[in-house]
Amino acid sequence: MSEETKQVEQIRRTFETNFAKFSHLRSEFSGLNLAEAENFQRDLAELKTNHTGKKSEIAGAKKLIGRVAPEERGAFGQLVQTIEKEIVTAIETAESNLKNFISEAKTERERLDVTLPGTRPREGHLHPITLLRQKIEDIFVSLGYAIEDDREIETDYYNFDALNIPEGHPARESQDTFYTTHGFALRSQTSTVQIRAMERRGVPIRIIAPGRVFRRDTPDLTHTPMFHQIEGLCVDKGITMAHLKGTVAEWLRRLFGKDTKIRLRPSYFPFTEPSAEFDFSCFKCNGTGTFETERCRPCKGSGWIELGGSGMVHPNVLKACGVDPQVYSGFAFGFGLERMCSLMYSLDDIRLMFENDVRFLEQFK
Amino acid sequence: MNISYNWLKDLVEIDLSPPELARKLTNVGLAVEGIHEFGDDFVFDVDVTSNRGDCLSHLGVSREVAAITNYELRIANYETQKLTTENQPLVSIQDADLCQRFTARIVRNVKIAPSPEWLVKRLEAVGERSINNVADITNFVMHELGQPMHSFDLNKLAENRIVVRRARNGETIKTLDETERELDETMLAICDAEKPVAVAGVMGGLDSSITDETTDVLLEVAYFKRENIRQTSRRLKLSTEASHRFERGVDIENLVRASNRAAGLMCELAGGTAEDFADVYPTKFTPKTIESKDIQFAVKRLTGLEVEAAEILRILAALGIQLSTLNSKLFTSPSWRHDIAIEEDLVEEVARIVGYENIGEELPPAFGAGEYQPTEKRQKDLRKTLANQGFNEAISYSFIDLKHDEVFAAIPNLIGEIVEEKYVSLQDSIIEGAIRMRPSLLSGLLDAVRTNFNHQRRDIKLFELGKVFAASVKEDDLPGERELLAIVVSGNERLEGRAMPSRELDFFDAKGALETATTAINAPRLEFAAKDVKHLRKGQSAEISANGKAVGTIGRLSDEIAQNYKFKQPVFVAEVDLQTLLGEKQQTVLYQPLPVYPSVGRDVSLLVKRGVSFAEIKKAIENENFELLKKIEFVDVYEGKGIADDERSMTIRLEYRSNERTLLEEEVETVHTRILQNLETDLGAKQRF
Repeated sequence: MSEETKQVEQIRRTFETNFAKFSHLRSEFSGLNLAEAENFQRDLAELKTNHTGKKSEIAGAKKLIGRVAPEERGAFGQLVQTIEKEIVTAIETAESNLKNFISEAKTERERLDVTLPGTRPREGHLHPITLLRQKIEDIFVSLGYAIEDDREIETDYYNFDALNIPEGHPARESQDTFYTTHGFALRSQTSTVQIRAMERRGVPIRIIAPGRVFRRDTPDLTHTPMFHQIEGLCVDKGITMAHLKGTVAEWLRRLFGKDTKIRLRPSYFPFTEPSAEFDFSCFKCNGTGTFETERCRPCKGSGWIELGGSGMVHPNVLKACGVDPQVYSGFAFGFGLERMCSLMYSLDDIRLMFENDVRFLEQFK
Repeated sequence: MNISYNWLKDLVEIDLSPPELARKLTNVGLAVEGIHEFGDDFVFDVDVTSNRGDCLSHLGVSREVAAITNYELRIANYETQKLTTENQPLVSIQDADLCQRFTARIVRNVKIAPSPEWLVKRLEAVGERSINNVADITNFVMHELGQPMHSFDLNKLAENRIVVRRARNGETIKTLDETERELDETMLAICDAEKPVAVAGVMGGLDSSITDETTDVLLEVAYFKRENIRQTSRRLKLSTEASHRFERGVDIENLVRASNRAAGLMCELAGGTAEDFADVYPTKFTPKTIESKDIQFAVKRLTGLEVEAAEILRILAALGIQLSTLNSKLFTSPSWRHDIAIEEDLVEEVARIVGYENIGEELPPAFGAGEYQPTEKRQKDLRKTLANQGFNEAISYSFIDLKHDEVFAAIPNLIGEIVEEKYVSLQDSIIEGAIRMRPSLLSGLLDAVRTNFNHQRRDIKLFELGKVFAASVKEDDLPGERELLAIVVSGNERLEGRAMPSRELDFFDAKGALETATTAINAPRLEFAAKDVKHLRKGQSAEISANGKAVGTIGRLSDEIAQNYKFKQPVFVAEVDLQTLLGEKQQTVLYQPLPVYPSVGRDVSLLVKRGVSFAEIKKAIENENFELLKKIEFVDVYEGKGIADDERSMTIRLEYRSNERTLLEEEVETVHTRILQNLETDLGAKQRF
């Protein structure tokens, strides 16, 4: 063996010695952590520079070819190339394996738990009365009604006289109505808005009036001295009770589904004649009175939910607003939002509506 | 009211089962809320509306049944009783305006004893307790014919006669419920020759009442003015079966029949002899007439129902409403129906008997587009924006306790400056102490904060939109009403789905929420200026204004108020005049050409006295109107170590730009230096490095 060949073989041995600690990286490996892998990567880079760069021993070995006997040059060249290829392949395989390993380890380290909560403020909730009012308002606006509101403290004229509740009428007794020290009434129904709106807009008219009303009821499970009503009014030529029935049915269907049925029952209100209470088929049991084999809660097993009062606007009310009852007719209806809410949500204590307990408010959206 | 099925069957033929009858009665307006079995009988719980006093008896309900089923009533006049002379000195009416008719009947030699079983059963069916035969008979006839009546022990009436007159102020009577009651001159009293023996239409007196020793009875059957009975009943806080019926109106033409019926039963069941009868009837009843040119058309016009003319007349006649024999356009209303006066009333009678269920369902013809109130959309956005920032919406009572008076500074311009009376008050209230109409929303919100603290909910963000009230300047004017927005924040910022709070809420959370909300509705930009406010802590309070108008206040709740509420953590509140804010011109947008040349930003830290605000610094810079200065922004504020107690370091960013060229370093430096010099001269602000 020539001196040169020995020299080259020595280079191979030196590399093999130096590469020994990386040799396991040439095939599948495990048991490393990320920091160890990165150390290996750094050391391997150094090894690569030493053993493959222009100044490496194997690069220097190529210059020895001139000293080799001409007949051995072919074999020598072959040998140098083989060794160089061995070195490069060993290093690059290890390098590539390390790189993949590190990349995977990093991915793993940065893996997210995508089920953790998104970053956002805790949700606020609108009051159930507001939510229901807005829903109903949207329905009526789409039916061509204007929304109206007005004063909460009223004169007796708007709260009573104009609504055909003359002095001496039971509904006028102060036991039902709050009065200010100056003798003004806290409106006891949003029907006051009917009068003001008809005065302002004239007829024909289609409005709904949502708002706060006040009655001297001692707070209990089903009463509060303040509550919210929505009042509807439609006055035009040729309006009949069939229109009242159709309108009440329409908005309740839009709210509770198209199978909802309604019924009118004769009743008495001073500001309507004929008068009717309106009920609708229970949204929970679909009017059957039974829900999941038990007596249905919202309708108490009757299948019907009594919601509010209605009727054809009394001629005296029309006259009070300067409308000729011989020419125009109209219907009006009204109902309480708290009552409706408590039915819809099976709420058994209406007083919670005004306690502003966050645990209560948070349940509605 | 309780109605017995068997009793009804005595008065009219019924071939409907109890549930069928209940449904029919409900359909015509006598809502049957329940049916209970009672022996071989069924008892209906009927809800009678206040206009239908005539239905507070079995006779009244029978009439409805007859109208529904088209059967005849089986009702006698009981005229078998001996009638003696009218208007004899037995009864004198002094106040005929309050007593339109009064009958008295003497029944002698009765024997007070228990009632026979059939009578006890009838009364028990309708929920009445049996007392003795005479008392039970009056009760029975009331339930049967709807006419309340009263039996006196004749021998206990001074001079054995009745005087109907207004009570004298201060006159007293011990009523049957053994309560001493003081009467006044607004009340009608039934008296003997000397003193009141009954409160007319409400309750009899104890001293003249029937006892086991009674032998001679004076039976009173009368008609009183409805409004007066209602008033007396209210004043005495005494509501009885009798007053309930008199208030709603009994049948003035039914008195004699009722008296005969009761006297007859007393003879039959208590062994009495009917004797003298007096009927004093100063103002004879004249039936109301109702004009209807075309009742069939009226029914169709108001209800859409097509009903044959003959059927209409049948229904009305069955209800006692007769077509005049002389004029085919006139109807007369029966003496028992106080509620029928106009054509529309007739329409209702026809419609309810035909059945509301036969009315069709139609939508009114198209009219026009619906409208929200002008500010509705913006209020909706305001609510939504606040909710998105974690605020819950509160609704509080409009009336509040007097103890909140003068606690909160009212919203600017709500309360007149020189008024004697600031607030609106109620004459009395249902919730104790709550007689003040709220001049501020804050009392309600702070009550809500307390409620939630008590439930261990200490991280609170709440808002309320609602009206507040103030006395009007002029005596006769309606009080002022104004729509406000108030918010309250306290505790920590909470993130959705996370158990741990992120940081403590402070003044700037309240301010920021308010700004976000008002920006969302395009209201004018809010300006904040430090100002002492009654209910807010000094040094942490501000007045809010928009377009130069004061519209509200914001700050940390004062220690004193916080202590009263027992709040142990800072609470920040703000209240603004939403109505005024929504009335202001909305912000308009004017396009600015996009910058062509780059801008240069310079951060500068200024050492200033704590009394110098960011707003003042900004204003001082802006006053100079440097053309190249485009923007002044807040960066940071630092207080504490290395800074004197009365100073703070404020870092601001100044942005320079020209619309014509790229700025040279020297140009910026020149302006920047000038600005810093001015700040030092004007505000004593030194640059800190």
